Amino acid sequence: MNRSSIPTIETGRLILRGPEPGDYPNFKATFASYRSRFMGGPLNPYEAWMLYAAEIGHWEIRGFGMWMIHDKSTDETYGMAGGWQPAGWPEREIAWIIWPDKSGKGYALEATHAVRSHYYANGWDSAVSYIDPMNLDSIRLAERLGAKKDPEAQTIDGSDAVYRHPAPAALKDSQLAHGIEMEIDHYADPMFKPKGWALD
Amino acid sequence: MTTRSETIIRIPTLRTPNLVLRAPGAQDYEAYVAFRASPRSRGTGGPYDRTASFSHFAELIGHWVIRGYGRWVVADPETDTALGIVGLMYPEDWPEAEIAWTVFDSAEGRGIAFEAASAARQYAYDVLGWSTVISCVLPDNTRSIALAKRMGATYEADYAHPEMGSLGIWRHVGPEALA
Repeated sequence: MNRSSIPTIETGRLILRGPEPGDYPNFKATFASYRSRFMGGPLNPYEAWMLYAAEIGHWEIRGFGMWMIHDKSTDETYGMAGGWQPAGWPEREIAWIIWPDKSGKGYALEATHAVRSHYYANGWDSAVSYIDPMNLDSIRLAERLGAKKDPEAQTIDGSDAVYRHPAPAALKDSQLAHGIEMEIDHYADPMFKPKGWALD
Repeated sequence: MTTRSETIIRIPTLRTPNLVLRAPGAQDYEAYVAFRASPRSRGTGGPYDRTASFSHFAELIGHWVIRGYGRWVVADPETDTALGIVGLMYPEDWPEAEIAWTVFDSAEGRGIAFEAASAARQYAYDVLGWSTVISCVLPDNTRSIALAKRMGATYEADYAHPEMGSLGIWRHVGPEALA
């Protein structure tokens, strides 16, 4: 891309960077798996490659897009999170996918909280997430982020539920935001063992 | 914490006597969608709706990042209007890297595809150091078959693609024949 560049976002445990060629194998393996069933998958190799290329090109067309989530110390990738609005999407979406063997560590929460803050700080006044009603892990993550099902909002094709994120003013310095940050800190604390099954 | 530092790729600009081959950008998106919705895109597997065209246009740009080469927008050097998409393409599950070409309706019949595809082939040989390259053409795309022949390519085999169906593989003359 000649004109645009993809910003880098750092959080406590993670660094979010633009998708690079070397990150493709984990993306392909995830989109070849059952994990991708709520995101149009599983895909064949041609479809997976084209989607990965499109994840990158989305940045050029829209000026925003999906980051690759890396571990800040090891650089290992855990999944993707960011803004997403291909043709047919009524609104700008906060989207995420975590590699199947990396779930349960709070990486999606940490990454989506950071990308939402980034977009809110850069002019977004609202955001939604389009979620398959059977995708319970993602619905729970949306709820932990403070998003609420919006039955009035236009869906993509009627098969998805729209979760509306709290607006920037409602999120800033809120109890909700502090709660999210506390939960992320707990995941990051090697001595802390939350009870119950940790989700994305 | 946010830093803005990461530039992901530079797409080279090529100039031919009548054309500029330059990076695709957001400004070309509507012309691309219009072409892909037209009956003329049948030769490349179309027509495509807006949803599919968005993905394909995004893929066009991302291809450069993943492979380090890709397809250019062929533009009028005076006005910068997009006339077509021509360049090097190698998605996964493709037989080999190929030279691909598409000329928008308003620009057909002016030898644009030949001039741009020849420049792309020269780039593949001279800059990327390739020793061979193919073009994949749908069997009923007679205009593209004619162009492949005009460029000196010869039919080699068919390739059964999971999405596109049967593709004819046309192999171009090598760098030594063009030197």
